[in-house]
Amino acid sequence: MELSGRGIQLLRPPSAKRVHERIIMTTLVDKRTTGARAALPPVVLVNIIWNIFIVLGSLLLFSTVFQQSEDFFDLGRPVQVFAGLIALVPAALAVYSSIQLIQRKAGGRFSAMGMNYVIMVLAGFYLLHLWGVFIGMDNISSAILANYQWSLGLAVAYALYWLAGRLEEDTPMRMRLEQAAIGIGMISLILLLWFSNILGAASAILSTYGNAATWITTGVIIISGVLAYRMLKLGIYFNETPAQQSAWQGWLMLSPNIIGFMLFFAGPLLLSFYLSFTNDTVGNIPEFIGLQNYGEILSLQITTTSLETTAQAALAPNYTALGDITLGSSRIVIGARDPLFWQSLRNTIVFCLLLVPLSVIPAIILAMILNSKLPAMKFYRAVYFLPSVAAVVGTALIWRWLYDPTIGYINYIISQIVGFLNNTLGMSVTDPAILWLTDQGVVLFSIVLLAAWQVIGFNTVLFLAGLQGIPNTLYEAAYVDGANKWQEFRNVTLPMLAPTTLFVIITTVITGLQVFNEPYALISARPLPTAATTSVFYLYNRGFFRFEFGYASSVAWILFAIIFAITLVQFRFSRAKAYED
Amino acid sequence: MKRSFVIILLVALAVTSIIPLVSAQDEVELRWRTRPDNQAEIDVYTSTSETIDAAWDGVTLKYEPGGSETASYQDVLVTEIEAGTAPDVFWIPGTDIARFAKAGLILNLADIAAADAEFNAEDFYAGPMGFLQTPIEGQDTALWGLPRDVSAFAIYYNADLFDEAGLDYPGMGDSWTWDDLSAAAEGVSELGGEIKGFAMNGWWANWGYWVNSAGSSFFNEDYTGCGLGNENTVAGLEAANNLFANGWAIPWGNDGEGPFLAGSVGMYVSGRWSTPGIIANADFNWNAAPLPEGPAGPSNWLFWGAYAVNAKTEHPEEAWQLITRLTSAEVQGEIASLGANIPSRQTEAAIDLFLGTLPDSGVNNQAFVDGAAVGVTEAPLFNGDWPAIDQTYGTEINKVFNGEITPQDFADNICGMVEQYFEAG
Repeated sequence: MELSGRGIQLLRPPSAKRVHERIIMTTLVDKRTTGARAALPPVVLVNIIWNIFIVLGSLLLFSTVFQQSEDFFDLGRPVQVFAGLIALVPAALAVYSSIQLIQRKAGGRFSAMGMNYVIMVLAGFYLLHLWGVFIGMDNISSAILANYQWSLGLAVAYALYWLAGRLEEDTPMRMRLEQAAIGIGMISLILLLWFSNILGAASAILSTYGNAATWITTGVIIISGVLAYRMLKLGIYFNETPAQQSAWQGWLMLSPNIIGFMLFFAGPLLLSFYLSFTNDTVGNIPEFIGLQNYGEILSLQITTTSLETTAQAALAPNYTALGDITLGSSRIVIGARDPLFWQSLRNTIVFCLLLVPLSVIPAIILAMILNSKLPAMKFYRAVYFLPSVAAVVGTALIWRWLYDPTIGYINYIISQIVGFLNNTLGMSVTDPAILWLTDQGVVLFSIVLLAAWQVIGFNTVLFLAGLQGIPNTLYEAAYVDGANKWQEFRNVTLPMLAPTTLFVIITTVITGLQVFNEPYALISARPLPTAATTSVFYLYNRGFFRFEFGYASSVAWILFAIIFAITLVQFRFSRAKAYED
Repeated sequence: MKRSFVIILLVALAVTSIIPLVSAQDEVELRWRTRPDNQAEIDVYTSTSETIDAAWDGVTLKYEPGGSETASYQDVLVTEIEAGTAPDVFWIPGTDIARFAKAGLILNLADIAAADAEFNAEDFYAGPMGFLQTPIEGQDTALWGLPRDVSAFAIYYNADLFDEAGLDYPGMGDSWTWDDLSAAAEGVSELGGEIKGFAMNGWWANWGYWVNSAGSSFFNEDYTGCGLGNENTVAGLEAANNLFANGWAIPWGNDGEGPFLAGSVGMYVSGRWSTPGIIANADFNWNAAPLPEGPAGPSNWLFWGAYAVNAKTEHPEEAWQLITRLTSAEVQGEIASLGANIPSRQTEAAIDLFLGTLPDSGVNNQAFVDGAAVGVTEAPLFNGDWPAIDQTYGTEINKVFNGEITPQDFADNICGMVEQYFEAG
């Protein structure tokens, strides 16, 4: 058996440098374990000194935060205090890390690694900002798109390389093709960058080095990056266990997502939670008003009155009638301070109740068909998945056209069918001429149809995966027991799909409760008809049209609580049922 | 060799980097934004920005076309204002002036304008300027911006359908009243199939025309309360509803432009902004006519939007200079040459310039100018919450045109429903 190149490399002796490092580490560890007083490795000492700078930087940031006026970028004093406390976190971590490092504890190494890594990443983002990359992104993409013809060379290079891969190894032709591919690729890339004004971009970046902040940020990135890397190499010195190694490797892999989550999700989430207790409007400093927004949104009044009195007259002045129920000679009236919130919530729940069966049942049927051995199934799988990846705005515009009562295909087809029934079969059916987007009784269903069409493809793929996980032996056993196709489906397929079904229903319900794009893009009339206003559209309306960001945040958090509660109940109930089955 | 090449390259880059650094010193950078309707307008605004920039020492302009398929102009702007990253100068619709001013988002330019000897408010249409000069509480004078352009409704009609139905084109007969419009809508609808006589889109200005032309109004005289609780409102809504109830119009709430461009609609009410799209997409003979006269005489809307200055700009003087340059006769002439909107300067030269636009299309430009002359000015509401009022008006209007309530029910109840959204005094 022939050893691969990689295998040969593994058998090579370690380099002299690596041996030297190991000897130093082993010596340090030996001294430490025998209790001898040894000097800290230089990198640890440097890290401790660096931590002093981090503390100073952190304190500087803290003081900068409090040097701002109390309006603090129109966010108010509480956010300023919170930002100040966050600014102190690196200082606290640096102190902790230094103490641990002096005591030669693993915690010191991990905290130093983590802190330096995060500082490097954040400073990297800041450097990109200083370079003008974020606001120049449009220019970069425009420049590259304007010279797209040079990227065709990359496609040619790829094609040549692919072709070379089809040839026998180590033949001159293959080598020449590979070299040609690399050459064409390199030249295309250079031409693309050159004509996209790479020199101008580089020049613009260099010009930012007239600013001290750019130099400092670059220095911070280099120092923190080098220290993070060097600390990572000190595993032996700190008696790193395999479990610890796996742990930091895992965190490292997760770090892009965690950092992104903290910056772009957790931060705004916390801010929105704070704003929900304020009267925040655009351009004004939010004032804390406690639970006033929540009270306004959730206040309901239920009262009884006689049949002679109108529902509205029975309610307190700030309440609007949501509905009433007649019981004998009296009437129960329900009113709300914010009726549109309740109407939008009702619409959203009805939307979910319709969306789940309309997107789950067809998905199971489709998955069964696509799981068969009929020809061209791979093609159809892709076709049915397409709506899930298509942009909602684009598809909604197409559906708006389909739903058009005058020139839309849906009403046209219905008219043709009615015509056929009446003219050919002699029936007297009335053409319903459905007003898909304006009839208050139909518009929500129209939105559900669009959403279901979009979700079905994704659900089908999930069910398809579930179906392919069902052991064939179960079907064979059912066949031996004399089960017909329906009994197989009822007693084998459905129970085995229960966990998938649970997942599909939960994700569909969550998608449904957050519906926004479909009514926004499908219906052009403004204001949106009440029957089509969903909860998220309502909060968008309060925020962006009425500038009431505090109130809109409260609606968002109430919606979050509702989604969380429904999902929790559904999960508990369905999980128990799934495993019971 | 390789190292030398890298060093030379880096030195060259460093040297070239100093040039913009030096030239950038003492330059004021102004960002400005407006909502273009199409790429042609983006190109004109970009070119305008470059021309002004080139002729203006000490100031660098950066034009940002706002909005995209997935993010509306307004949403992006509001988000940037909240984040403190909005441009120095931006365009907003006329109805938004009041709430932006009341929220302190735009600068009161009255003092700066007073010191500008070349500025004369009377050069512009009086209606928009009246609203732009409305002070808010605690102010004696105000100027919230300058109008970019104005627009008005007209009736776009499909001449082929009118020929086929044997009808006079809109406005070409002895009279052009609501009755004539209804008769034309009925006549075209009788062509059968999917053909409808009339279409209008589902937002406030469309039903607003009917109540205005009947002698009613959205607001009372001093814009401190609702003005719809009267019989004129009933008359206007009944006339409009007549078109829907008889099946002569595309159902309310549905987009009218698509069916019109598909050749299925005889008359379509829309603003001047639709003209370029109709020129590009209509493959039938068409033209534009004025809106018909109602019981209270001719009526229309005077739509407008204004360039306003961000309250947080660091360069208010330069921002004012920019909006005066953007609304100068020369720049308005360039924009007007696209034919999408009417110049906001109500001078004979500006109007003549507009009347001469799009000569190849043969479109009746005069219909829009006449419409603007009788138009009710789109009003920013300084004493009320317009989005909330619009929501309530719109919701109830949907019920009227969907047959859930009568125009009389609407007129009887609507003012009570919106009372809470007007501010006392």
